[in-house]
Amino acid sequence: MGIRINTFSWSLALLSLPLIALIVLPLTKMVFTPTLADLWESLQDPLVVGTIGRSLGTALAAALICFIFGTPLAYLMARKHFPGKSVVEAVIDLPIMIPHPVIGIAILSLAGRNHPIGRFLADMGIEVMGTLTGIIAVLTFVGMPFYINTVKAGFEAIPERLENVSRSLGASMCATFFRITFPLAWRSIMLGMIMCTARAISEFGAVIIVAYHPMTAPVLIYERFTAYGLKYSQPVSVWLIGVSLVLFVGMRFFSRPGREAA
Amino acid sequence: MIHIQNLHLSLPGFALKDINLDIETGDFFALIGPTGAGKSLILEAMLGMLPMDSGRILLEDRDITSVVPEKRGLGIVYQDYALFPHLNVRKNILYGIKYHNLDPNQVAEQFDFLVHQLGIAKLLHRYPGTLSGGEKQRVALARALILRPSALLLDEPLSALDPVLKEEIKDLLRTIHQELSMTIIMVSHSFSDVFYLANKVAILKDGRIRQQGSVNDVFEHPNSRFTAGFVGMRNILRAGIRDNRGLVEKLAITLPPGADSSGKYLAIRPEDICPLTSGHNGFENTFSGTITHIAHQGFYFDIWMTIEGVKFQAVWDKNYVLEHDIRPGKELEVGFYADKVRVLGQ
Repeated sequence: MGIRINTFSWSLALLSLPLIALIVLPLTKMVFTPTLADLWESLQDPLVVGTIGRSLGTALAAALICFIFGTPLAYLMARKHFPGKSVVEAVIDLPIMIPHPVIGIAILSLAGRNHPIGRFLADMGIEVMGTLTGIIAVLTFVGMPFYINTVKAGFEAIPERLENVSRSLGASMCATFFRITFPLAWRSIMLGMIMCTARAISEFGAVIIVAYHPMTAPVLIYERFTAYGLKYSQPVSVWLIGVSLVLFVGMRFFSRPGREAA
Repeated sequence: MIHIQNLHLSLPGFALKDINLDIETGDFFALIGPTGAGKSLILEAMLGMLPMDSGRILLEDRDITSVVPEKRGLGIVYQDYALFPHLNVRKNILYGIKYHNLDPNQVAEQFDFLVHQLGIAKLLHRYPGTLSGGEKQRVALARALILRPSALLLDEPLSALDPVLKEEIKDLLRTIHQELSMTIIMVSHSFSDVFYLANKVAILKDGRIRQQGSVNDVFEHPNSRFTAGFVGMRNILRAGIRDNRGLVEKLAITLPPGADSSGKYLAIRPEDICPLTSGHNGFENTFSGTITHIAHQGFYFDIWMTIEGVKFQAVWDKNYVLEHDIRPGKELEVGFYADKVRVLGQ
């Protein structure tokens, strides 16, 4: 019996190849260009370790903020119908569309001394320009749509009937959320945090406007590239990719389906 | 007792209008109607899941119209069972216990009783994803019943089951109703299920109740063409009525005494149209008909025939059809009693 060749499927595969190559080839080239000695040397550099740690820390902080404030918003968007909902949805998606330096400029103009909010923050001792606070603010801004849209889809996938049954059994809306909805949406929430963290770690355009220092890894890579060239920026890039990969694999591992999905 | 008074509820593209229901304690009440009639919406409104435009719901003389769902004391079992997938069977059944002030000993007793009555003792540590449809149904029933709700609402509990399992669950529902003296309100689109289980029924169409009453009364005395069709009267004929006779084209049908002369339609059940045999000699209506086609339905045959150009459908016993070589083109005498003919005004 001969092998059936499905022309359509092969055509799809062939047409997919250029995009896969576009992602894989440059990254492979970059990862394998630095020697082990280059990588080890860059790891001895406190600036490299510090910026990667700062990038991870600020991205995770942004994901945590999205978790705390974005989860209720995602639930509202998934479950409730209200006038102007499509406007709110458009607002949530705005950060995806706006050029990222513009986001940095917008945050700065709000947090500057010329704006009441900026003056209020200053009075409270909160500085945005050139601080971790500013970095976390812009990372939350750029990562938030990825978190909310992912978690909203997760909530939508949970049948409302489960919540109805829970309430008919005596649980309040709040108890229903924490005993039924949240545990069932947990994997979507983790996926949302992964998406948000990934987007935040890679952010450069908005961060460089708000805070060149303290330096994050993308800013350091940019600086090394402009000051010393390609060769010096590559080891930092490889470490950033490696650490991010470990983080995301770990997050996915902890949010994998449990036995109840059998 | 549950009273639903003048319930109006609007959703985009659909509305429940003027719903009035009186359900006695211990009733097995069926809400039936075609898909999209609004049956399940009535259950959702009773549970408090949908905001009503107007009307009241009284549960044992307590107005629960504005009461939050968790305080209404009604249990629900959905067609898809809606078991919590992240909790095992035991945790599903005991989910609501912490919200009710129940004696732990009574809970344990009730749990053991239900688990054994419903045959799910061996499933307690399994997760819903590993259960069959029938097992899920039983767990969902146990979860609702352990709280002893004032009424149990069943949203199309039989429609997702295969025929064998369906009969099993029907028996189970009847046992639960009888042994626990539970008020049950069931949504269904099958009159045969309702006939087996319920004592009262309301028929809905397009968000309105078209007829309600005892199952036997609605079955025997439908008040409209729609209801007649829904309860299985497959012969609905436009007729002129004069001198207690209905004239369908050239066919004159003798009606029961005192038939409504303003009626416009006649309705006859297919099982009431019988072949004339030596034992049948009391029919007021006897005609010669020609079989047009027949369909084997397993235990019986659907028979289509024309009588003086008017089409009729009958249901005949399999053995009779095979023994008498009933086939398309055959002419034979058929008859039906006058009191089996319903006269409908609309």
